[in-house]
Amino acid sequence: MATAAGVSGKAAEEPSLRRSVTPWGSFSWGYSDVGADIFVGLGLVLGAAAGASNVAFLFAGIVYVCIGLAYTELAAAYPVAGGGQYFVFRGLGDIFGFIAGWAVLLDFTIDIVLFAWSCIDYLSKLVPILSFTAHPWVHFIVVFGVIAGLALLNIIGVRESSAFNELVSGLDVVSETTILFFGFLFAFEPQLLIHTMQMSWPTPFNLMNGVSLAIISFVGLESISQAAQETQRPASVIPRTSISLILTILIFALAYSNLALGMATGHTIPLDAHGHAQPLWRYLGNEDNNGAAVAVLASYVPYFGVVAALYVPVLGAILLLISSNSGVFGSSRIAYAMSGTRLLPSAFQRVHPKFRTPAVSILMFCGFAIVELIFAALPSLSPPVRAIYVRLFRGEDGITFLGDLYAFGAAASYSFVFIALIALRLNDSQSPRRFKMPFNVPFTYKGNRVEFPIVAVIGFIGIVSILAFTMITHEIGRVAGPLWIFFGIVGYLIYRRRKGLPMFGSQGHDWRKAQINILQQAGELEMMDEYLANVKVMDERRAAAGGPA
Amino acid sequence: MRRFVRSAGYARARLVSGAFFVVFGLAIAVRTAAIAGFSSAALPAYVLGAAMVALGGLRFRDYFAARSGP
Repeated sequence: MATAAGVSGKAAEEPSLRRSVTPWGSFSWGYSDVGADIFVGLGLVLGAAAGASNVAFLFAGIVYVCIGLAYTELAAAYPVAGGGQYFVFRGLGDIFGFIAGWAVLLDFTIDIVLFAWSCIDYLSKLVPILSFTAHPWVHFIVVFGVIAGLALLNIIGVRESSAFNELVSGLDVVSETTILFFGFLFAFEPQLLIHTMQMSWPTPFNLMNGVSLAIISFVGLESISQAAQETQRPASVIPRTSISLILTILIFALAYSNLALGMATGHTIPLDAHGHAQPLWRYLGNEDNNGAAVAVLASYVPYFGVVAALYVPVLGAILLLISSNSGVFGSSRIAYAMSGTRLLPSAFQRVHPKFRTPAVSILMFCGFAIVELIFAALPSLSPPVRAIYVRLFRGEDGITFLGDLYAFGAAASYSFVFIALIALRLNDSQSPRRFKMPFNVPFTYKGNRVEFPIVAVIGFIGIVSILAFTMITHEIGRVAGPLWIFFGIVGYLIYRRRKGLPMFGSQGHDWRKAQINILQQAGELEMMDEYLANVKVMDERRAAAGGPA
Repeated sequence: MRRFVRSAGYARARLVSGAFFVVFGLAIAVRTAAIAGFSSAALPAYVLGAAMVALGGLRFRDYFAARSGP
């Protein structure tokens, strides 16, 4: 079982994960999570940002590059399984570590529903009875069944093999590239793109809405750092795979949005609800297609579309199912790790006596996911509830409701990761960093030479803007997201008080011992020697200055 | 799959796809410049072209680093 090894200096006594993840495995692990996002995000962003969808993806993409660089630096320096939650816990202390972890948990529970929902949307392109708009009850029951099934499989300990993950990721990269190749070669018209951007430019409100939804196309890079504890030579492998992944996802997001806005279709697009002709991008962003936009777009690509219409829904559904499963797996493991560091009650560490899996965590977070599914599906299942949603929440559809919360959770946790990166640069300059974010300003802090990361500040401003856009434009996200954080903090404070632990402060942590354990377990012995030498120099300097060693 | 991604054929395929990305990225940038000039509307297309060139460059770097490595 994975724990954030070394977080309390006990890693050497605990069973550790086998380091069997290769560079390709590390890439595909991340890709199976982030790569699925464009399948969900494209339709939502086209529906919100219209002719400026590519600009929305560009803004979110630039922020995502900064986030990716931050995760790459931190995961290579601290190759443990906790990801963003661990970095914040280590850089900013217990309470912020809890808040970041709790925001990540929100994202993971949304991840379970959103991707299960979209998986069925993709399948509905081949099996019409699964259509959300035509048969909402069937859609609801099947998504419910998928979530319950994933919970059961995770409790009995069945996961898709990493070889299967790698195969699906490889097929998807080839498939997406082929769709783009044929699309740009035979159907893309730059003049149409410029015309669409000029004629269908959205209002500032809709553009902000689009940007806040575009960030969901880039969520999941965390998977690489989650896998860091199982990656061979993480300090050198993670930077390579992360940067390839960052660029690949950025290219797909920008290419798909540009193609959708500037593609001249070979055959006719159905009329809209009012009987008017509509452009492709509007057709992709409507309620019928926004959950399966990539499959619909692919089916309109000349020549290749005939084949793509048959297999893209299936490939997309498989990738989305893997992503949904990573939500079940990730939420239970993060809760388990947070429980081990006394940020959550010990119940989250309870494992099933027979299957040795964290059954309580799995059931609890899948339970949250089911509640979110009910909230998302209710307006389509019951006309009176739909009327309430229209009055209170501008009638947001189910998938947009899930997208709202996903964007909120991601923006909240990423904001803390940037601050943690800056704090760790200042307070832990001894830990060797094989990869550093570019553009740093060197200066002396508490007697140590440190480098201040300019890109982290830019990324922080960007992600806080996206968080603000989410709060401004999403009626449900602005209420439900902060409520999730608020109730989490209340629960955390009650738990800490009962256990006699510092409520707002941190427990004592031996980070030096923890870091040595982390680097030793990673097999990064050169880095460990470098770390020990740096610590020795710092202690000698402090002793000479008369301070504590 | 794992055996394939460790083979010399895969490394060469990555090199070829890297060249493809560089050419495709440059083509997007040049074509955009010819049609839209340097307007703000053309910015996403320029970034797309630059990202493709960067990904291609990364694949070249990986290939030559692996060849010259131990």
